[in-house]
Amino acid sequence: MAEEKQDLLQLYRFCFLMLADAAKAQEIFHATLREAAQQAANGEAPRDRLWFFRNARWRCLEAGEQGLQAEEADLEQEELAAGAASQIEKLEPQQLAVWIAGAPDPQRSAMALFYLDEFSYRELLSVTELKPPELSKLLRDGRRQFQAWLDATIPAGQP
Amino acid sequence: MSTAAQLSRRDKVLIHCAPIREDRVDDRALRTAVHHARKTEAFAVQQSFDKAVIALARAVPIPKEIIEWVPTESFIATPRRTWKKYVQNPVFLATGIAALVIAVILIFQLVDRLNRFPGETTARRLLTTAGSAHAMMLDPVKTDAGGIGDYLFMKHRLSHYDVPPEFAELKTIGCRVFDDEEGQRVAQVWAVEKKMQFFLFPAERDPKTGAAKHFTGWRYVDQDRWTGVVKEQNGVCFMAALRGNEKDLAPYVSKKNE
Repeated sequence: MAEEKQDLLQLYRFCFLMLADAAKAQEIFHATLREAAQQAANGEAPRDRLWFFRNARWRCLEAGEQGLQAEEADLEQEELAAGAASQIEKLEPQQLAVWIAGAPDPQRSAMALFYLDEFSYRELLSVTELKPPELSKLLRDGRRQFQAWLDATIPAGQP
Repeated sequence: MSTAAQLSRRDKVLIHCAPIREDRVDDRALRTAVHHARKTEAFAVQQSFDKAVIALARAVPIPKEIIEWVPTESFIATPRRTWKKYVQNPVFLATGIAALVIAVILIFQLVDRLNRFPGETTARRLLTTAGSAHAMMLDPVKTDAGGIGDYLFMKHRLSHYDVPPEFAELKTIGCRVFDDEEGQRVAQVWAVEKKMQFFLFPAERDPKTGAAKHFTGWRYVDQDRWTGVVKEQNGVCFMAALRGNEKDLAPYVSKKNE
């Protein structure tokens, strides 16, 4: 049960990373749980925890469609820097969420799910509904674009 | 540390999906890729990058309302036990194996019972006799096997001790009549062909009624590398025996059908 509670807290974090908006994330979190409760009451409880993330993912994408849309643009990319960890440490969680929420889907979903550190490789493929080369490209490009953004926002060596 | 150039193309693709925690690597190809990439600098940088982003994601604050709102009951259905899980359970596995062994034994016993016939015990005993017999022990009788019945009736008063038509044309060398362990009169005949021996002996009888137990067709029996083929007719069993197997006798018993 404690594990399931932990999963649900991660579900909120996932919604937050997808939307970068605490109020909307909370709304989708509640909507997802309500649907799970309804299904359970009808004797058709979700089969596994992945159901919650799949459901929340589509709700987040739907909610995202109502606001500003991320553009399909070739963002600048940089090779990962050895000192990237120290650059990232200077960020606030909100900044990470803003960056991920600004990415086009499925990159947005792939990065949000990957950085939750909640899923195995196969689970990731299942929830994102991607093939291994697709997931690989999205994560590789995502890291490099994030590195380029980091270099622009927090130049290496900056205190 | 070496460069990523040593990685295969497949490894390079997979490595970008490598989760930080090893227990999350649930794919053999990815596990191999991680193993190969572990010595590369690029992978070390990627892992350090990912760890930092994961730590940042973990720092996303959870509102108090969410913590309070998380229900205490589970919404996830209890997983149904599939037949694979049942099979993997040691108790079911042991029971299954035991049931299988019992079934195999029962099938063997059933097949064995179906192949049994009245007089089989005597036939086996006589196969042992056949293995130790010498032509010298017999009275020389050179005739067609089909005529041996008359000889046995005339000389030893044994009625219905007839050689079936399937073996009637074979030439004989000699013959003898003796009492077996149960006091039954047994006729032993040597044939020229393949050093074959014939045995004629009373069919097994019902101890209550004394009636002969009949069976139809030819039945095979083997003992000590000798094989016999037995047929019952008029209360007397005929067995043709030779050193060999069923294949050697089969052409004779199928002759009549042809």
